[in-house]
Order: sequence, then C-alpha cells, then structure tokens
Amino acid sequence: MNETVKLGLILLIITAVAAAVLGVSNAITAERIAELDKITNNQAMQEVLGDAESFKLLDESKLKEVQSASSNIVEVNEGYDASSNLVGYTIKAYTTGYGGRIDFMLGISVDGQITGIKVISHSETPGLGANAEKSYFTDSFKGKSASQELTYSKSPKADNEVQAITSATKTTKGIVEGVNKVLEAYNAALAN
Amino acid sequence: MKLSKVFFNGLIKENTIFVQVIGMCALLAVTTSAINGLAMGIAVIAVTVGSNLVISILRKVIPDKIRIPAFIVVIATFVTVVEMFMKAYTPDLYKALGIFIPLIVVNCMILGRAEAFASKNGVIPSIVDGLGMGLGYTLAAVLLGIIRELIGAGSIFGFQIFGAGFEPALIFIMPPGAFIILGILMGLFNHLRRKQEKAGEKEEVLDEYIYNID
Repeated sequence: MNETVKLGLILLIITAVAAAVLGVSNAITAERIAELDKITNNQAMQEVLGDAESFKLLDESKLKEVQSASSNIVEVNEGYDASSNLVGYTIKAYTTGYGGRIDFMLGISVDGQITGIKVISHSETPGLGANAEKSYFTDSFKGKSASQELTYSKSPKADNEVQAITSATKTTKGIVEGVNKVLEAYNAALAN
Repeated sequence: MKLSKVFFNGLIKENTIFVQVIGMCALLAVTTSAINGLAMGIAVIAVTVGSNLVISILRKVIPDKIRIPAFIVVIATFVTVVEMFMKAYTPDLYKALGIFIPLIVVNCMILGRAEAFASKNGVIPSIVDGLGMGLGYTLAAVLLGIIRELIGAGSIFGFQIFGAGFEPALIFIMPPGAFIILGILMGLFNHLRRKQEKAGEKEEVLDEYIYNID
C-alpha cells in the first residue's frame, strides 16, 4: 500500500475515534450545560427584577425594534408578577470595559426605574475593574430614573450619578455607557 | 525500572514549572487565587495522565512520521472532554479558568511528556510519569496561587486571613506579581533541590534512565 495513503488512514482512524469520544461526552454533558445556563440566566433576571415571579422572552418583532435603537442588546425578557401583571423588563446587553467585552443585565420597572444591574461576565483586572461585580457599585444604579442619561462620580450626589469604581475608570465608563445605550433603547421602544 | 523514581522525577527533579520552565503562560494567568491554581492543576493532571496512557498504548501503532499530529489529536480530545465536564459539573471553576482550559492543548509540557516519555515507555510507567509531572505542575500552581492570593487579596482559598485593616497589594494578583513570586519560588525550589541532591546520591544523567525504562 502506498505509504501516504497508509499514514492518512491511520490519522483518519485516530481522529474518528477522537470524534466518537467527543460525541459521547458531549451527549453526556450538553443537557446539563444548557440547564445550568438557563438557571444562571434566571437567577440573574430574578436578581435585577426582584418583583417579577415569571419571565417571558420578548417577541421577535419587538426585540428587533429594541435592537434597532441600540445594537448592544442581546436579549430582553418581560417580567410578570404573581397576578400576571407586567412589572418590568430584564435587558441583557454588552459593553466594552478595560479588559474586553462585559456582559451585563439591567432590570427596568414599568414605571421607568432601574431595579438592578448584574455583571454576568467580564475580563477586567482582578481587584480593580472586577469590583464591578460588587454591590457598592451595582447598588448605586438602583432606583435611578430610566429617562435620564447616567454619569458616574467618586461621591455621587446628583440624581443621575452612580458610584465610580476606584482606579477603574475605564470599566466604570464602559458599563455606564452600556447602560445608557440600554436606557435609550428602553425609552425608544419599550417605555409607554 | 523504578516507578518511584519516575514519579519523583516529574514531581521534583524535572518539575515542569520550577526546573523545566515550560507550560508557563496559562499558569501565570490563572494563579490569581489558590483555588484557581488547584483547579488548573487537576485539569492538567487529568489531561497528562490520559494522554500519556493513550499514547503509550498506541506507541507501536502510530508511525513516526505522523506522531506529532496524532499526539495533538489525543491531547486535544482529552482537553475538550475535561472542558465539557468542568462546564457541566463545576461551572464556577469553569468560569474562573475560562479560556485557559482549551489552552492546555498547547501546554508544551503535555506534548513534551508524550514525545519524551509515553511514546517510548510502557503503560504503567507512562501513567506514573503523567501523575508525577501533573502533580509537579499542580504543586507549583497551588503554591503560586496561595502566595499571590494571600498578599494580593488577604485570603487563602477564599478565607480571609488578615483583618479588615489589611490593605492588599494588588500587584500580586496582576501579571507582574506572578513573575515576582515565580522568580522567588523558583530560586528557593532549586536551592533546596540542589542541597538535597548534594547530600544524597550523585545526580544521574536523566535521559539515560528515561529512555531505557521500557
């Protein structure tokens, strides 16, 4: 047999076996991974919009409308309370920080107030930008009106100022800009 | 053939990090905390042992000309399997280690063991070699993680050690800190290693017994 063909065949067998092994482990883990993703997402939604009991994905055409206002929006869910009244929206979006993409979720109530923000994933500097996950930063968004543009400050006083993260201006700026874009889209497409 | 010799060769004498200084890039990046170092170490052990085992079994089947692509396929398969299982069962660790799990594929330590040991030795010694090398890596990763976390965040494995008054030196959980601590550890490790070698038996030429074990 031609040597090249033989070598190719051996490699083919090795890669085929490898593919089979990968297929099997994917089959074992895929379901659980999808489930975990869903749980994480649900937890985040519950966290940013505490009043809601259940969530429903915003319908496609409406989502397009929201995304055409701000392109950084990934997913929008409507939150309903126990007696199925619409209480607000959870909006998943991304922005750019110091270390790259930051994914976050913002909760806005129907009366136009920010109910919470959660940083879902980021690659900011540990100990500095990574503090964006901490409550002293995220809590400062709570209760802010969605109809205004937010800014940040080391000692926030005005109504539209959120707490800046110490020594992480780029992270703060990135997130505040991202949030402002979301607010813009909310005002354009979701607010009554 | 002495298995303990193979094992301690990987753990101490030829320690991947402190002596051979290979497979560093992921190590420096993930060891911002002790738990990350430990998790990375365990992932590396799983992959090294697995790939050494399979490559040792296949060593007579794989022709010399295509051994490198064959090794890489085996290693990449193990890494992907480990990645999937971490994602499914330890999502927090997966989140912390992120991109560095797939990067284990290009950890030259693992390909190095496949090439230098597993492809020339029997199954049992290859497993032991994988264990020793992997544990050596883990030892270094955990040590680095503990020290960096202690100085840089004031905790060990997430438990606060110092009181609230402690002002952490952030530089140690950033890249420069990794180099500083690594340099100091490397010096200490090699100092102790030499001292012990002088006191004990005469140093052997390593390659000789590695290649004659089979």
